[in-house]
Amino acid sequence: MPDIFSLFQDQAEQFFKSGHTNNWAVLVCTSRFWFNYRHVANTLSVYRSVKRLGIPDSHIVLMLADDMACNPRNPKPATVFSHKNMELNVYGDDVEVDYRSYEVTVENFLRVLTGRIPPGTPRSKRLLSDDRSNILIYMTGHGGNGFLKFQDSEEITNVELADAFEQMWQKRRYNELLFIIDTCQGASMYERFYSPNIMALASSQVGEDSLSHQPDLGIGVHLMDRYTFYVLEFLEEIHPASQTNMNDLFQVCPKSLCVSTPGHRTDLFQRDPQNVLITDFFGSVRKVEITAETISLDPNLAAFESKPPKDELAAEPLKYAEQLPVAQIIHQKPKQKDWHPPGGFILGLWALIIMVFFKTYGIKHMKHIF
Amino acid sequence: MAAPLVLVILVAVTVRAVLYRSSLAAFISERVEVASPLNAWKRVVEGLALLDLGVSPYSGAIFHETPLIIYLFHFLIEYAELVFMITDVLTAIALYLAIQDFNKVVFKKQKLLIELDKYAPDVAELIRTPMEMHYIPLKVALFYLLNPYTVMSCVAKSTCTINNTVIAFFILATIKGSAFLSAVFLALATYQSLYPLTLFAPALLYLLQRQFIPVKLKSKSFWLYTMQYAALYLCSLVVIICLSFFLLNSWDFIPSVYGFILSVPDLTPNIGLFWYFFAEMFEHFSLFFVCVFQINVFFYTIPLAVKLKEHPVFFMFVQIAIISIFKSYPTVGDIALYMAFLPVWSHLYRFLRNIFILSCVLIVCSLLFPVLWHLWIYAGSANSNFYYAITLTFNIGQILLISDYFYAFLRREYYLTHGLYLTRQDGTEAMLVLK
Repeated sequence: MPDIFSLFQDQAEQFFKSGHTNNWAVLVCTSRFWFNYRHVANTLSVYRSVKRLGIPDSHIVLMLADDMACNPRNPKPATVFSHKNMELNVYGDDVEVDYRSYEVTVENFLRVLTGRIPPGTPRSKRLLSDDRSNILIYMTGHGGNGFLKFQDSEEITNVELADAFEQMWQKRRYNELLFIIDTCQGASMYERFYSPNIMALASSQVGEDSLSHQPDLGIGVHLMDRYTFYVLEFLEEIHPASQTNMNDLFQVCPKSLCVSTPGHRTDLFQRDPQNVLITDFFGSVRKVEITAETISLDPNLAAFESKPPKDELAAEPLKYAEQLPVAQIIHQKPKQKDWHPPGGFILGLWALIIMVFFKTYGIKHMKHIF
Repeated sequence: MAAPLVLVILVAVTVRAVLYRSSLAAFISERVEVASPLNAWKRVVEGLALLDLGVSPYSGAIFHETPLIIYLFHFLIEYAELVFMITDVLTAIALYLAIQDFNKVVFKKQKLLIELDKYAPDVAELIRTPMEMHYIPLKVALFYLLNPYTVMSCVAKSTCTINNTVIAFFILATIKGSAFLSAVFLALATYQSLYPLTLFAPALLYLLQRQFIPVKLKSKSFWLYTMQYAALYLCSLVVIICLSFFLLNSWDFIPSVYGFILSVPDLTPNIGLFWYFFAEMFEHFSLFFVCVFQINVFFYTIPLAVKLKEHPVFFMFVQIAIISIFKSYPTVGDIALYMAFLPVWSHLYRFLRNIFILSCVLIVCSLLFPVLWHLWIYAGSANSNFYYAITLTFNIGQILLISDYFYAFLRREYYLTHGLYLTRQDGTEAMLVLK
């Protein structure tokens, strides 16, 4: 009997393992200008993976300078590629950038994190997390020892970031937080964290530079950074049901591939990284257990017979009615009504011409014509 | 003489056809020297497209062609290139026939004056012979058709070629002596662009000469004929304008065409003198200076009529040249028309003083136009002053050309009646000065 009990307890413990009920992602690209194409591609690639694994746009706060896709220097407008030979367009039709261009500032970033946002801000620009949220924070750009540069005009220091996370902890705005940073000397950014339940990864140690991966000769800039490239390759193998854990993520980019030494910090994290699933942060995996049997929750209602499930009629797939044929409207050309000169004009003109002709040459020529 | 003319026409048509098919056609039609806001092909197409969409083409500031052009191109727009080539050919043929007739008239008059002993005894070398005059019509047609200005104008499909055709037909009708046709074509030419109005005077003088009516202010027959011709001209002009009303059922075209020509609102650079002045001018002076500039075109008619009343065709040449220099939106197509006449006065060569420097000025300026345009607009290392300088130099060259020919013509006339070797009272050689 105690074995079954502990088995149930294990199962129950398994079920409520991570303690989170929703997932959020804050993805920040802190650079602008064309030659920082790779930072935008980094952020958009993480955005794509996170969406693929289930986090919806309403739970993603994406901060980009967004000046790549429509940049006059972009030979393929409206695209941002993350693979050379332009294999993978991470921009696409459905990217939702929440903070774009000059809105990506240190102040806005800290306000998003701490929730101190002016009342009129739309929902898409807020991090509406609660104490059961797991938040993924990904930052990329140019950084140094203890700071990260925002849009070439200001910096955020590691102390400010640590204090922001402490504010989040005190306001119960996260359950667990995964912080990933892909910049030069990235490890310096997580050195000062002091709030519990934070796990951090960085692409390079203090004193090292993070390097970019591959240039594309057609576009003319480097498309991705190495660390994020290999993280992405790793994430491509993750699907919502995978059981890969954080230790694998720590091994993602060895020095041979990344040239810099990636680092991580887990001392503030309460669970063992071995037990932390990738999908705890990167995906939005709902705990759903499917059962075919009916379970009676109220013992007094056991008198009700469970009805047999009705056969579902094979209905034809439902779809929305075509309310607005947008494509037709956009491509409609204005109806060409042909203009014709009025009959009176033509008549008058030719009558005049004939009159002049006969006045000059005389009526006697008429018999030569007819 | 028909065969060489046909050959010249064939060569000209080939040159134009080749240029139409090459990539230069697009480049040339963009040039401001060739296409002005009045006669650019792009605007014709735009106006016709607006008409197809149910909007009056005169409602914006883009279309400044007359309704007859709308009518013409409504049916012929797919054959536009053919139309322009045919108009060029027609102009050349009209000029050819006109100059042929004119030569006959000149020769007849010369014979008359010789028999009447009006010439001085030692001017034998100035007398023109039919031999030397034989190839002049062909040269005129050649000058018109193969002039680079004409070719560019035709390739750019500028409606200036149509204006030139109408003026050429007017000249043909005048020289043939038909007052009615001459009035009709003059009315058409005035209707197309306003300035051929000034050609009324030379045409009248020529027709009077042909009818042997002396130009005396007291003579009744002079006034009768003048009134008849003026009545014919004004009636045809009124009829054409009223007919144009019925094309679009509105008088919109009058401010759009004539108001535009007279008030010069569009200051796109061209080879004329108006744009720079009005670009730099303050608003409250612009009305005054527009009036001054426009009067400048019409002003030379009366003095020239007084001086050149015996030589109306030369007067016509000078008047056409003045129109094409001083009009509000000149293009190289207008210049081509009066340059076609230069072979007619080739016998004046020995009296021309500046012909070398003027031809250099004109050629160099024509070559510098695109260079300075590029420097101004594309390279940004020049500004409008540079382009205006070339415009000024070019126009000065043209004015000097005309005044040179004028001087040479008058000098020859003086020598014819007073002898070649002029001596002063004390026997030393005298110099003729144009005062």
